[in-house]
Amino acid sequence: MNAPSPSPPCCHAEGPAASADGMERELARERTLLRRKVSVAAVLTVLVVLSSLPHMLGEGHHSFLPPWFTSPWTQLLLTTPVLFWCGRDFFSGALSAFRQHSADMNTLVAAGTGIAYLTSLFSTAFPQVLIAEGLPTDVYYETAAVILTLVLLGRLLEARARGQTSEAIRRLLQLQPPTARVLRQGEPVDVPVSMVVVGDLVQVRPGEKIPVDGDVIEGSSWVEESMLTGEPTPVAKAAGDAVIGASMNRSGSFTFRVSRVGGDTVLAQIVELVRQAQSSRTQVQRLADQVVGWFVPVVIALAIAAFVVWFLISGNAVLAMLFLVSVLVIACPCALGLATPTSIMVASGKGAENGLIFRSAEALETAGGLHTIVLDKTGTLTRGQPEVTDFERLPNGLLPAGTLLALTAALESRSEHPLAEAIVTYAQSQWKNHELPAVEGFEAVAGRGVQGSIGGQHVRVGTPRWLEELGIDSAALQPLVERLEAAACSVAAVVVDGRIEACFGVADPLKPTSAAAVAALRRLGLQVVMLSGDAQRTAEVVAAQVGIERVIAEVRPADKASMVKRLQEQGEGPVAMVGDGINDAPALAQADVGIAMGTGTDVAIAASDITLISGNLAGVPAAIELSRAAMANIRQNLFFAFAYNVAGIPIAAGLLFPLTGWLLSPMIAGAAMAFSSVSVVSNALRLRNFRPAPLPVAAS
Amino acid sequence: MTNLFAANLIHTEPLWRAIDQPMALKVLVATVGVALIAWELWWFLGRHGGGVAARESAAGVQEITITVDGGYAPSRIQMKAGRPLRLSFHRIDPSGCVAQVIFPDFHKTLDLPLEATTSLELPPTEVGIYPFHCGMNMVRGVLEVVDRSAKS
Repeated sequence: MNAPSPSPPCCHAEGPAASADGMERELARERTLLRRKVSVAAVLTVLVVLSSLPHMLGEGHHSFLPPWFTSPWTQLLLTTPVLFWCGRDFFSGALSAFRQHSADMNTLVAAGTGIAYLTSLFSTAFPQVLIAEGLPTDVYYETAAVILTLVLLGRLLEARARGQTSEAIRRLLQLQPPTARVLRQGEPVDVPVSMVVVGDLVQVRPGEKIPVDGDVIEGSSWVEESMLTGEPTPVAKAAGDAVIGASMNRSGSFTFRVSRVGGDTVLAQIVELVRQAQSSRTQVQRLADQVVGWFVPVVIALAIAAFVVWFLISGNAVLAMLFLVSVLVIACPCALGLATPTSIMVASGKGAENGLIFRSAEALETAGGLHTIVLDKTGTLTRGQPEVTDFERLPNGLLPAGTLLALTAALESRSEHPLAEAIVTYAQSQWKNHELPAVEGFEAVAGRGVQGSIGGQHVRVGTPRWLEELGIDSAALQPLVERLEAAACSVAAVVVDGRIEACFGVADPLKPTSAAAVAALRRLGLQVVMLSGDAQRTAEVVAAQVGIERVIAEVRPADKASMVKRLQEQGEGPVAMVGDGINDAPALAQADVGIAMGTGTDVAIAASDITLISGNLAGVPAAIELSRAAMANIRQNLFFAFAYNVAGIPIAAGLLFPLTGWLLSPMIAGAAMAFSSVSVVSNALRLRNFRPAPLPVAAS
Repeated sequence: MTNLFAANLIHTEPLWRAIDQPMALKVLVATVGVALIAWELWWFLGRHGGGVAARESAAGVQEITITVDGGYAPSRIQMKAGRPLRLSFHRIDPSGCVAQVIFPDFHKTLDLPLEATTSLELPPTEVGIYPFHCGMNMVRGVLEVVDRSAKS
């Protein structure tokens, strides 16, 4: 039997969703068990509270409950399973932690409820001892049961809410379809995505999701990439274009060759980067971390101190014990621990939904406090695809246009500069069907131009500034330069044997959203600076078109980083640099926040702190807004968590009792503790509603 | 008996009455209380042992297995600078809090399935203190990277 030969296993890669599945199942199992425990605890606790009602209401009230039901032994029977089955994890966790010399939430809950339970047990078993001492024989089973049930309920709500904080990653993981239609021996076969290998040909029909990354080889379509790049409009795809796995094909059909699978796909990289950001911590979190480290031991010390002080004041051990329990169960280290990470988790996930990838929590933190933002012109404000708009021969030039185009094309074809590419394309379109002459002694002078010998003639193509530096008389060129620069064109002059023969005007059209994005940045109160290698005049014209007042022009690529450094040294506050990830890498690394304009397929740009997957400048104000919202959220959480503990613990310790007669019931303390961490997580979840403000209409 | 509402808990109730206790008992309670506080702070915040050193495999990778049960055992791990480290976490604690371990300095999060051993490889690292903690930042440990020459 001829079975289809499977692809070599070494090339298989698990989809990003696979590893998360096991954890999801475990969390779901944990939530189910927790729900069951909360239900059992709630029923038993209601019975315990009912049973203790006659005592609570006092001797004078007529009780409709039978005496056996209100007996302390019945309460003991009902409370025991609440503590030691429903709340078993608190006690075993506290014990394990104790052995490891560590103390946590479990320690506080176990100690608080355990002390109330043991005191009651003593009172139930040996009431005569208390009577002999003149102490009441009251029991506190309902206190222990109510605290434990409320804390369990709080834990369930918190587990649910925490599950929602990582929803963004889960949604991203679910984007990838489970199968791909792969051509095997010319026939389409549905195979699991994990079996797809690089080089496979995959068919995509209208309305289907694209399973992995690749390059279109046949057919065309419109593809919706918003779920990955945040770009709302569908993108046209035809032969040669790259497609991203998990994006949605709209109307057409096409076949693509797989270029990346498994952990290498854009989707997997986004998920990995978001997870990395969620694993990092902010500066502000370091403070919370320090506090959390000694929090529980200090609370235990305060609880013991409260017991001792109240015993010395009142001589009443039962009263002192209630203060001890209240202090233990009101303190909530979890609220402190969760305050920052939950906000970071939700914010970085929200960023990914909008095509904004934050590499670390610190990037999220710093971006909110930016003062100055430096925008590279080419590729950031402009499309980065320059075109020749003018080709002018000088009146006193000697060589014909055809020869000049041939010489220029020959020289520039050796250069990798984007302007050179535009000039070669133009020259070849004008001067067809000719072989390019050979170039000898080619040299590229960074930020200036290129030179070499062609057929015995020395040819230079470069900036007017370079010609001035070389001492070449460029008076005849000046009117042309002024006119072209005023039209936002870069000028490249052609010099043959020291004589200026012609010049090119090259323009790089602005991206449609640039002006609106700059206006949005200014509205956010940022100082916007444009950095450009162009002549001052050209740069100023481009800057004026997008509404930027401050321009640093004629900056060579290698000097961009030092320009950013100078701005930082001039006290321009935290400085962000926005540019492409390759040429601008040193400047991105130098800036306090490096923001890379992605290309849709390149996500993990090493030098950047934030990557805008779509390469749309509108993502920059959106990232800053998200960062500000996240930092405000973290501040609220930390304030709440600190204020809650700072205010709650003294009240529970009875500090207000001598002044006001106020005393916090341990049960209220337990409820407050249970809901403080729930409220911190719920506040972080508000960030899920974040929407970037719409771009303003830019005045152009 | 306590009431559910704080406002009702006023000192007029018999529970809150003062009881004369002998001075010797007061002194005893105060002494035991202070001793308990001191012991408890020492137990939880004091330094217990210098940490456990990771053992080195033939391939030059430092390895250590950490049991996750209420805390990390060991919680203080010593390793040599400039050599890779493989940490294996064996989780037996069912609490959801410890289902994740986070290494903030390495931007790494590791999911720890229950009753299983999960490994994480860390690149060669410079001398320093690198904390790690559970998802809720309550259970904590520390990697102590020491100078290769200083430790035999």
